[in-house]
Amino acid sequence: MNRHLCVWLFRHPSLNGYLQCHIQLHSHQFRQIHLDTRLQVFRQNRNCILHLLSKNWSRRYCHQDTKMLWKHKALQKYMENLSKEYQTLEQCLQHIPVNEENRRSLNRRHAELAPLAAIYQEIQETEQAIEELESMCKSLNKQDEKQLQELALEERQTIDQKINMLYNELFQSLVPKEKYDKNDVILEVTAGRTTGGDICQQFTREIFDMYQNYSCYKHWQFELLNYTPADYGGLHHAAARISGDGVYKHLKYEGGIHRVQRIPEVDVKLDPKDLRIDTFRAKGAGGQHVNKTDSAVRLVHIPTGLVVECQQERSQIKNKEIAFRVLRARLYQQIIEKDKRQQQSARKLQVGTRAQSERIRTYNFTQDRVSDHRIAYEVRDIKEFLCGGKGLDQLIQRLLQSADEEAIAELLDEHLKSAK
Amino acid sequence: MELWGRMLWALLSGPGRRGSTRGWAFSSWQPQPPLAGLSSAIELVSHWTGVFEKRGIPEARESSEYIVAHVLGAKTFQSLRPALWTQPLTSQQLQCIRELSSRRLQRMPVQYILGEWDFQGLSLRMVPPVFIPRPETEELVEWVLEEVAQRSHAVGSPGSPLILEVGCGSGAISLSLLSQLPQERLRGSSWMREDRAAPSPLWFTDSNAYHIYLARLWPRRKGCWSRVIAVDKREAAISLTHENAQRLRLQDRIWIIHLDMTSERSWTHLPWGPMDLIVSNPPYVFHQDMEQLAPEIRSYEDPAALDGGEEGMDIITHILALAPRLLKDSGSIFLEVDPRHPELVSSWLQSRPDLYLNLVAVRRDFCGRPRFLHIRRSGP
Repeated sequence: MNRHLCVWLFRHPSLNGYLQCHIQLHSHQFRQIHLDTRLQVFRQNRNCILHLLSKNWSRRYCHQDTKMLWKHKALQKYMENLSKEYQTLEQCLQHIPVNEENRRSLNRRHAELAPLAAIYQEIQETEQAIEELESMCKSLNKQDEKQLQELALEERQTIDQKINMLYNELFQSLVPKEKYDKNDVILEVTAGRTTGGDICQQFTREIFDMYQNYSCYKHWQFELLNYTPADYGGLHHAAARISGDGVYKHLKYEGGIHRVQRIPEVDVKLDPKDLRIDTFRAKGAGGQHVNKTDSAVRLVHIPTGLVVECQQERSQIKNKEIAFRVLRARLYQQIIEKDKRQQQSARKLQVGTRAQSERIRTYNFTQDRVSDHRIAYEVRDIKEFLCGGKGLDQLIQRLLQSADEEAIAELLDEHLKSAK
Repeated sequence: MELWGRMLWALLSGPGRRGSTRGWAFSSWQPQPPLAGLSSAIELVSHWTGVFEKRGIPEARESSEYIVAHVLGAKTFQSLRPALWTQPLTSQQLQCIRELSSRRLQRMPVQYILGEWDFQGLSLRMVPPVFIPRPETEELVEWVLEEVAQRSHAVGSPGSPLILEVGCGSGAISLSLLSQLPQERLRGSSWMREDRAAPSPLWFTDSNAYHIYLARLWPRRKGCWSRVIAVDKREAAISLTHENAQRLRLQDRIWIIHLDMTSERSWTHLPWGPMDLIVSNPPYVFHQDMEQLAPEIRSYEDPAALDGGEEGMDIITHILALAPRLLKDSGSIFLEVDPRHPELVSSWLQSRPDLYLNLVAVRRDFCGRPRFLHIRRSGP
């Protein structure tokens, strides 16, 4: 059973001098007039430059990936060229007379390259230090200078840490900044089509709650703009304005179709007399006498002839639970179909299909797993994920990391092309 | 000799260890020819099913499915993403499957091969020779949960029973009960401070002084939350239960004690109060049936967890005889037994009116065999 909901992201409309209002979480619903959904850019009234090395960020890159990236010839060549350019600029600005306009643009470029050149130089110096340390280690006599060796090892570790940090800094400095990263957003969720039951609307509400919790987790402000509930506690569509540090940067990859796979909890009465449960039957006494791993369960609903089999889990009682839920859902489906056929439908046309958007994520409740299709990344424990805390944040960080890697690769590609 | 040899080998070459090509004198294991090319999951299952069937290994298809699924990171073959069924496996994965399957050819139970199994939806570590929980026992836990729910509903307060499990093994019964019984905590900072001050009840060996120290601390944990005392005479079971409790983060609510309840002196100094419930899946196999058990059981599982003596009643009667000392008035005992036991237990209880115990209910397992007993204490 697949259901879709659409998450749309809009950059927040601009209002000069707009103050961030205090957000309240409304648990009761209210209807609102349709939003103005024109795309406008919100100019943030902030002058501070966001520090690149945020705490969570740097930890992500403290592993082999950036080292590998560094070893990549293209990156080294690119950095060499940048460094040369920087030195040339320095020479230029100091010794060669230039007119004002040119001087300004040269200065700008100089300022752009300065941090990169500085990091590059530091990296080179540190690498040299590593080389010197290694050659010193080799020349040490094993027996006599054990203490010295230990010191050298400690020093090596410190230097390794330092160079990792430098690689991270460089990496982050290189990633081209997205123009709108600092902006706030309007987040809109809409439930997709449902053919029976309200799984989709329930899921929509859970997703909206998740983003609300995530905003809290990131210390953003979440302002509810629209909340249109569906029957039985679900959500039809809702919108909120989220404002804070780097909101668009983090949420930009959340837009798209989120698919849910879930067997609904349906309240269908089942009479045990109508059921036959088949499981593996051991000969003889069973119990401690037997060790069997076949935990498959087959459920037969005698009046309707519906058969449900389940071998999803290793625990037999869990397979039984799942089989029961599926049976209930299927019986419910049958009941609904019957009702529908009995009702005279006035509508000739079906509800219009949504614009084809990319399906970006699947939430499979039966297997307790969330898969993001763009980076083939899986997360376990849907319940924790929907809390909108660390689980979602980690996925988003992975998405950002992936996007950055692609951006850098693209940058290097272009550089290579232009160099030829 | 053979039994311990096998168990030692099993213990030394745990699941997932690479390069365990120990030659073994008793083994009839033959090296399998390398599979040509990279195979997919479906092909591998088919291949190993054939190998197992040829060698007379029971549950050939199930065994190979579990092994392949495990190597691919899933619990069951059916829960694997369909895309993975046809993808070629890496040579590392193939090697792993080969190693695990070779253990199956030694009749090692799948649960020991994988080093884990599920019980009531909980994933538990399995280590030979600690007894592997049976699916029937899941129903015992269901019954206990129903009773607790009923009782607390009648009394009007949330159920927070004090439960004793005799013969905890891997901790399956205790931990699945704890994970599903309600737990409420008193709010307010004073509770939290007390909580941190009291050391979490760890497992420990039989030392009276230590017993009493912890007993003085424990009653101070006010509030409605269910607690379990799990007891086993095997140290391997104690440490496995502890490991599983930690994996499930239930170590604060379970008290694991290394204790042989059949020895008299263990029960003379009881630091804790009377129990609301005693639950057990005691060894209940009739002694004469022991040698007819499948090699998986005979060669790998602890016989002391299975052998119940001549009529399979030894441990059962021991537990029942201890009831007056351990159980509250109108407290209950829930047991899993052999299908022949309900009658035997009934007549034994009649011969021991001094215990004030009544067999109040017998429940059948999913195969329709009388499997579970509910015995209640009523009297002084």
